[in-house]
Amino acid sequence: MKTSAKLILIIALFMVFFGAILVAGCARPYEFHGMVLQPSDPIDFTLTAHTGERVSLSDFRGKYVVLFFGYTFCPDVCPLTLAELSRAMQILGDKAEGVQVIMVTVDPERDTAERLANYVPSFHPDFIGLTGSADEIAKAATPLGIFYAKNEVEGASGYLMDHTASVTLLDKEGRVRLVWPFGTAPEDIASDLEYMLKGD
Amino acid sequence: MTAQQTHASELKLFPDWKWKSWWTVLTGIMLLMMVGVIAFIVFQPIQVLPRIRLAPGFALIDQNGQRLTNEDLRGRYVLYNFTYTDCRAPECPQLDLLMREVQQRLDEAQTDGTPVALVTIAFDAEEATPEKLRAYAQTLGADTSNWHFISGNPERMKDIVGGGFEVYYEKLDNGEYKFTPTMILVDGWGIVRAVYNARAYEPDADRIIRHLGILAKELRESKGVARLGYEAAHLFLCYAS
Repeated sequence: MKTSAKLILIIALFMVFFGAILVAGCARPYEFHGMVLQPSDPIDFTLTAHTGERVSLSDFRGKYVVLFFGYTFCPDVCPLTLAELSRAMQILGDKAEGVQVIMVTVDPERDTAERLANYVPSFHPDFIGLTGSADEIAKAATPLGIFYAKNEVEGASGYLMDHTASVTLLDKEGRVRLVWPFGTAPEDIASDLEYMLKGD
Repeated sequence: MTAQQTHASELKLFPDWKWKSWWTVLTGIMLLMMVGVIAFIVFQPIQVLPRIRLAPGFALIDQNGQRLTNEDLRGRYVLYNFTYTDCRAPECPQLDLLMREVQQRLDEAQTDGTPVALVTIAFDAEEATPEKLRAYAQTLGADTSNWHFISGNPERMKDIVGGGFEVYYEKLDNGEYKFTPTMILVDGWGIVRAVYNARAYEPDADRIIRHLGILAKELRESKGVARLGYEAAHLFLCYAS
């Protein structure tokens, strides 16, 4: 009896071994939908939140921070992106607690804290809008590869802003980890976030 | 011969294999895996260029008076260098001439059809008018079809060049500038992948042409299981020379 038990064990081990090879061969590594960056130095800046408080990125250490640069007069790109980020948070459900979505305005001239308060939380009550002086905004946006420039157009709204519409993900230590191009599906953003959250 | 003995000899397929032997096999597999990892680090079968940081965002004016932004360059490999429009020997012709050499030899770079752009940023934003930029390009004999000379926006220049590209420059009392001659290679996603100056890679046209090929190769091959190998190469810092 003892030897036959050993034989079964040997066969079982072989099956596990070949099973592992099969799984390894078929399994694909997780592919992020955003562009992956090597974790670099943490970034930080301090701006004024839509509540009127001064807020630093470092206040959110311990959470994943999803950063989007837009403005409230934005006709298309910004409301669409914020709505999709809101949808991504819905998909995440309870796990969304580990994520903070922030919109930084690229139009500080018109986007006061009050204006942001009427705009940003309408997409999701937990979203935060940030504004500041022209110089503060530039210092926050430039190192993240975000460009913006006034585009004077004929019309009632005065001018539009041309700006980078990608969304940046910072990890719990405030390091840039992913950049999602404009138009990334909310399901894909949620899936990347879920994978990141699972890794902790 | 008793019945029990027969039974035992029939099943003696692996006579001497005991628990101890299995531990030996497992240890062997672990050792092989470790040797594999070490071999990967030592021999570096896959070499990559590091994903250093995001290149800065900018909206500047080119030699034709047109706006050029970092977004306009997305999807291209971009080689940047930095100068000021009144720059004279010895600093200035050096890297500008190297830029020109790279431009002339671009067909040697195996980029799989990904376009390459060259961008010279003049950080003397108050003086560098489109006319001056155009004159600068002409003096060099640059082909401006894919080589842009840009400047403007004095308030933001320090954030872009100093803060974003991390290229040091300083205006001196005599109107000249002190700066670190630097070239920077940015990929199609807007990530800085190589820095060429006295402190990093030595600027050299052969190396830059080769680096363009390495970026294209990673873009082409880093899919599915091969992606694991590429990510391992990034993790173990298997950087190209």
